[in-house]
Amino acid sequence: MKHRGRGLASMWYPVGFTGYANPSGAVVKINEDGTAVVLTGTVETGQGSLGVMAQIAAEALGIAPNDIHVVSGDTDTCPMDTGAIASRTTYITGNAVRLAAERAREMLFDVAAGMLRVKPDMLEAKDHKIQVKSFPSRNAAIGDVAYKAYNDVGTPPIGSAMWNPPMIPMDPETGQGKPFGTYVYATQIAEVDVDDETGEVEVLRVTASHDCGVAINPMLVEGQIDGGVHMGLGFGLYEEILFDKTGKQINSNLTNYIIPTTLDMPDVDEDIVENYDETGPFGAKAVGEPSLVPTAVAITNAIYDAVGVRITALPATSERVLAAIKAKRAAEQKQIPA
Amino acid sequence: MADVLDVLEKDHVATESLRRSDQALRLPVVAPPTSLPLDPPLVPQVGEQTHAVGLRAQRPDSRNHGLGLTRYIDDIALPGMLYAKIKRAGISSARIVRMDTSKAEAMPGVHAVLRGSEIPTNVFGTSIVDQPLLADPIVRQAGDGVVAVAAVTEQIAQAAIDAIEIEYEPLPGVYDALQALEPGSHKVHGGDTNVYARKVIRQGDVEKGFAESDRIYEGRYYTPGIEHAPMEPFTSIADWDANGRLTVYASIGRITLARVDLSRTLGIPISRIRVIGTVVGGNFGGKNEIRHEPVLALLAKKAGRPVKGRFTRVEEFIASTIRHAFYMDYKTGVTTDGKIIARKVRMVLDGGAYCSFSETTLGKACILSTGPYVIPNTHIEGQVVYTNKTTAGSMRGFGAPQVCFAYESQMDDIARDLGIDPIELRMKNFFRDGSMTSTGQVLHSVKVAESLQNAVKKFGWEVR
Repeated sequence: MKHRGRGLASMWYPVGFTGYANPSGAVVKINEDGTAVVLTGTVETGQGSLGVMAQIAAEALGIAPNDIHVVSGDTDTCPMDTGAIASRTTYITGNAVRLAAERAREMLFDVAAGMLRVKPDMLEAKDHKIQVKSFPSRNAAIGDVAYKAYNDVGTPPIGSAMWNPPMIPMDPETGQGKPFGTYVYATQIAEVDVDDETGEVEVLRVTASHDCGVAINPMLVEGQIDGGVHMGLGFGLYEEILFDKTGKQINSNLTNYIIPTTLDMPDVDEDIVENYDETGPFGAKAVGEPSLVPTAVAITNAIYDAVGVRITALPATSERVLAAIKAKRAAEQKQIPA
Repeated sequence: MADVLDVLEKDHVATESLRRSDQALRLPVVAPPTSLPLDPPLVPQVGEQTHAVGLRAQRPDSRNHGLGLTRYIDDIALPGMLYAKIKRAGISSARIVRMDTSKAEAMPGVHAVLRGSEIPTNVFGTSIVDQPLLADPIVRQAGDGVVAVAAVTEQIAQAAIDAIEIEYEPLPGVYDALQALEPGSHKVHGGDTNVYARKVIRQGDVEKGFAESDRIYEGRYYTPGIEHAPMEPFTSIADWDANGRLTVYASIGRITLARVDLSRTLGIPISRIRVIGTVVGGNFGGKNEIRHEPVLALLAKKAGRPVKGRFTRVEEFIASTIRHAFYMDYKTGVTTDGKIIARKVRMVLDGGAYCSFSETTLGKACILSTGPYVIPNTHIEGQVVYTNKTTAGSMRGFGAPQVCFAYESQMDDIARDLGIDPIELRMKNFFRDGSMTSTGQVLHSVKVAESLQNAVKKFGWEVR
């Protein structure tokens, strides 16, 4: 017989390295027509980070993400980056890109100040224009300003910057310190069906609510959550590297090492908590790794809710769940008074 | 006769439908040029409106991905390129006594053979530098590479490593993290202990906290080693120019660090190395350090030709890193109204044969092991040990999924035992803005309660 259960799990997760410097550099070059090129030493690892970098630079320069080309992943041409690790790209590389774009923008403002006869600090970049703050009808097209910078004034706008999160290393004796710049938070709820005759667990749906600061691109955040739930599902129910007695792996292939397929995936309902972190670029933090963290235990908590057994060793395979159900029945039978 | 025809007809129909489905599955490798949307917009976007943050903008790489035009590392071939294969030990703890590469070297098509002793600095690592590129002479895990070959095809390279004869002297081994802690256990790297990193975090007085608690809960939790299983296995290409400048194409997430490690292992200045990070076909933490790149570079130097090395799926399992297996003991003191006032955590991580990202994983796991809860008295101690198993390294979450499994399992048990709703118990103990973590960090931007409230509402969780 199938039993339905629900389980929840909350988590926290830090952004960046644990008390070690993990800086990122960035270069933003504004072209003659007001479009721009971003140089970053990080690499696209499938998560869509380069698009996020374009959106951050675009926001700072008042142009569209489509106006920006991102060059990445070359140690000869790109500035130093600690890399696509520790959920740090949006927060740390993003801050470097934002600062670099703002520096390039300052060079544009210097040129535009002469064109619009105001001080540079009275200007803002918006909608492909450099305009006077709270007086947007007084403006110059960003392309005209950039062209003038290149060909009249002789200051082609380039900005470079680097950023490293503020940290205090941990004391080796007590562990006291400020190891991270910021943290993110999340709660996931799983609904499962557990078959008490076979031990089989089917995850029906997962609701995943994540704080990532401001979502630079909500579509990509949702994509990361979906991917994280998929990985958490494997961690919770299927995946385990088995070793023989001499330390050799015995299921080192995808026939015997089972990862979830699309057919195993539950419906995922993603939610992005409204938040703004003042230390992140335009309020953004991270979502990459955290999306996987609470899934497995939300599932095992749901298994408890369904059939009353606590799984204390992952993965919760059918065999393990069935063994736990049988052990529970045996224990309950013993409790009948004589 | 009719029966025979019937059978033939059925057979024909079956073959035909198979052929059709086979054809349907065969998509063109590269989309025909006429379908390329060369006219702008390459990436459809909003027009003049430039509010970029918060925009559901299409990814700049999605069209290339969708049309199969993205060039991953395995789509790159350089003129005259050779293929490398690395022979894996296949034994978890041993000393190499004798190696005979003569048959392999004599094979037509084989251009270079490389042993560990030929590597200028045959050791790498991200914190403790303890991992050889090719084991020499001690093998500490079955996936250790022992010798490498470059040949004109992958098949010849495979035949060549199969023809290399190696004699091993088996050594004792240790295959369990808890056994590795015992004084009499085999010491994977010599010395007097297998423990290579420890972490302690202490705040308040945990024993006093337990004494003041109304109830104490204890639990042991275990999570296994798992594999990143990226679609794209480790692949790299090494190429030298006439000035002795090296270019490495690699699907590595940290190219700056890769360049430093190449410089150190090869003994050449950083200015003579270029690392090009190609689009990564799945990383999940497994591609954060060099793996075989210096070996490919030295094979390329010997052969005078570019060399590509590509892990098989089995190598991806046995010769890259995996997630740390965790043993966790949780002891938590709670008041009857559900306030957590003390928590003691002890954890042992199975680090496998080499350090890799173990120190970072241990650190994050210890810091995060309290959960997102205010606990005035904490004592956390973690250690990571060497075993003769596959090296554990960085993997999406760095220890967080493991400790979350423990603290959230126990949280539900506490709620049930105290007869408090699991949501209420969590809300009572959650961090808020200004809360202090076990390391003494004062938090800002805390939204864990909001995430729970949102999830409960969206899920439709009703109290029962």
